[in-house]
Amino acid sequence: MGVISVLLLASLAPAMLLLWRGPTPWDRLLAYNSSSNRIVVALCLFAVMTRETLLLDVTIGYAALSFLGVVIIARNLERGGGAQ
Amino acid sequence: MTMAGMVLMGIGVGLVFLGSVGMLRFSDVYSRLQASGVSDNAGLGLVLLGILLHSGWNPHDLTLVLLLALMLITNPIVTHSIARSAFVQRHREEDE
Repeated sequence: MGVISVLLLASLAPAMLLLWRGPTPWDRLLAYNSSSNRIVVALCLFAVMTRETLLLDVTIGYAALSFLGVVIIARNLERGGGAQ
Repeated sequence: MTMAGMVLMGIGVGLVFLGSVGMLRFSDVYSRLQASGVSDNAGLGLVLLGILLHSGWNPHDLTLVLLLALMLITNPIVTHSIARSAFVQRHREEDE
């Protein structure tokens, strides 16, 4: 289970790289969404490994907030928000 | 049961890793969306299912099921929203 979480955090690195150098804002948005998904599942693994069940509630809040943020930023870009 | 959970988690992590390599290698927003959306949804869902199978029955498993349902609902919405946003904005720039 530790190996799985290390591999999951290693697969966070390409997403962070895309977040850094993405040419368009949509690339950055996509990289942000997928890296937050990876962080949520890694947090789940950590919570189950250390038996901290409170962290599982934190992951649900994190997933809902990142979903709201990504959808709202996408709607804002759709109306030409970042261009002006 | 523990072994089945480990196998599911291994398959899921492999899918997630391939998806992030694909996100770096592809050249367009839409192909990146395809690489990330499909493999994230399947891979992270498999990892969560593997956690459920691995640790047996606990009271906090309901929270994990809720998180799995939340991710399975919200990930396609996010992918669709980003793709629609890029498409509409590009057509608006072409019209002007």
